[in-house]
Amino acid sequence: MGDSSASYIHMVHHLIEECIVFNMGKEECMEALSKHANIKPVITSTVWNELEKENKEFFEAYTKKRRGEKVREMETRHEIQGVIADSSNSNTSADH
Amino acid sequence: MQAVSPLAKTTPTKDESQEQMDNSFSTGGNGDFPDLLESIDFGNLFVGINDGDVLPDLDMDPEILADFSVSGSGEESEMNTSVSNGKVEDNTEKNEEDKVLGSGSGLDSSLSTRGEEIVSKGDESVVVNPVSKESDNGRKSAQAKNNQGKRKVKVAWTSELHRRFIQAVEQLRVEKAVPSRILELMGIDCLTRHNIASHLQKYRSHRKHLLAREAEAATWSHRRQMYRAAGGGGGKADMTPRHAPTMGFPPITPLHHQHFRPLHVWGHRPMEQPLMHMWPRHLAHSPSPPPPPTWPTSPPYPSYWHHHNQQRVPNGLIPGTPCFPQPLAPARVVPGIPPHALYKVDPGIAVPTRQSGPHPLFDFHPESIDAAVGDVLSKPWLPLPLGLKPPSLDSVLGELHRQGVAKIPPTCA
Repeated sequence: MGDSSASYIHMVHHLIEECIVFNMGKEECMEALSKHANIKPVITSTVWNELEKENKEFFEAYTKKRRGEKVREMETRHEIQGVIADSSNSNTSADH
Repeated sequence: MQAVSPLAKTTPTKDESQEQMDNSFSTGGNGDFPDLLESIDFGNLFVGINDGDVLPDLDMDPEILADFSVSGSGEESEMNTSVSNGKVEDNTEKNEEDKVLGSGSGLDSSLSTRGEEIVSKGDESVVVNPVSKESDNGRKSAQAKNNQGKRKVKVAWTSELHRRFIQAVEQLRVEKAVPSRILELMGIDCLTRHNIASHLQKYRSHRKHLLAREAEAATWSHRRQMYRAAGGGGGKADMTPRHAPTMGFPPITPLHHQHFRPLHVWGHRPMEQPLMHMWPRHLAHSPSPPPPPTWPTSPPYPSYWHHHNQQRVPNGLIPGTPCFPQPLAPARVVPGIPPHALYKVDPGIAVPTRQSGPHPLFDFHPESIDAAVGDVLSKPWLPLPLGLKPPSLDSVLGELHRQGVAKIPPTCA
C-alpha cells in the first residue's frame, strides 16, 4: 500500500510543480492535471494544500506574484482595447 | 597515507593507485631516492599501518578501515568526522611519517605529497575540500559511490539532494549562485565543486527551457487575451498596434494541418479573425507569404535529463486553441524555439465565441503542458523543477480518506 501511494503522491507533487512553472493557480492546476494526467481534482487539491503547508513562504510569494500579474494583465488588456478603439475610429475612412 | 591500504583492500582501483605509487617509487626514483628505497619496506610499511602499529596516533585508521570495508552509508558520517580530523592533522601525519621512515627531508616532502595526493584521490568522498569539514550531514546515496579513488565521481542527484541544491541556488540567486557557495550552503561533503558546477550548468539550461516554455505558454495566452480584447473592440485589419513589445512576440506556431491564406485576404473577415487586428499594417500588405512551407513547431522543451521529446508533440492539438495562427502542416520537430515567421491566419478557422467572464489568466499552451505532464509520468525519476519540500504523506492520505478517496492511485479520474 504505502509504496504505490507514496510514489503516486510524489508524482502528483511533481506535476503540481510543473504547473507552478507554468504559473498556474490551484484551480487551473486541478483542471490541467485532471485533463492531462487523469488525476482526480480532489487529489491534486489535497496535495497542493499540503505542499502549501510545507512551503509556506514559497506559496505566499507565488500567490503575490500571480496577483500582481493578473492586475498587469487586466491593465494591458484595457490598454489594448483602448488602442483598438482609437485605431478604428481614426481608420474609418481607410480602405484596404 | 594510511588511507591507501584499506582502499587497496576494497577496490581494484585502490590497488592500481597503490601499485603505481610503488612503481613510481621503485622505478622512477632511483636516482632521487636511494635512501627511500633502502629504508622503506613498502610491504611492511603498509602492513604496519594496517595493524595500527606504525602510526598509532592517527585516529582515522580503524574507522576508515571499517567504513571502507562496509562501504555503507551508516558509518559514513563517522568516517567524515574522522577523516576531517585526519585532514586537519595533516601536519601531524607528515611528522609521523618522518618518524617512521627516519629518512631525510627529501623523502618527507615526496612522501607527504604523495600521501596527500593519495588521500585526496582515495578519499574524495570523504574529504573534498576544507569546506566539507563543516557538516556531517546525513549521507546521501552519492557517498556510497564515491569510494572509488577517482577524480570525478558520479554523483547521484537524489530528490533530496536536488532540493537542497535548488534551495541553495535560490538563496544565492541574486548574488549569482556560485558553485563554491552553493557547496557551502548545501553542506554536503560528498559533493565536489565540480559536481555542483556541472549540475548547476544543467540546472540553468533546464530552467531556461522551462522559462522559455512558460514564456511560450504565456505568450500564447497573452495573445489570446489580446485577440479577445481586440475582437471585443472590433476593428479592421489595418490597425497598427501600439503595444509593440507584447505583440511582437514571435509566435511559436503550433502544429496544424490547415492551410494558410495570404495576408491580404485578412481584411475581408474582420470579426472572424481577431488575430489580424493586432498585426502591424505592413504585414497585411505583403504580397507573398513569407513563411517557409514547413513551419517548425513549438517543441516540448526537453526536460531536465532528457532531450528531444519530440514524439510528444501532438498533431491535432490545435482545435482547442483556435485563436492561434494556423501554420502549415508538417510537424517538423525542431528543438529550441523555432524562428517564426508567421502572422498568418486561416480565415477558415472557426474561431469560437469569445470566452468572456472568468477564465484562467493563462490559457496554457496545451502542448507544453502535455509535454511536461508526459515527462513526469514517464520518467518519475526526474528531479523536481522547483524542489519544494514534499508534503507529509500521512496528512495527504489522511485528508484524502476524509474526503472519501480510498484508493491511490484511483482507477478512474
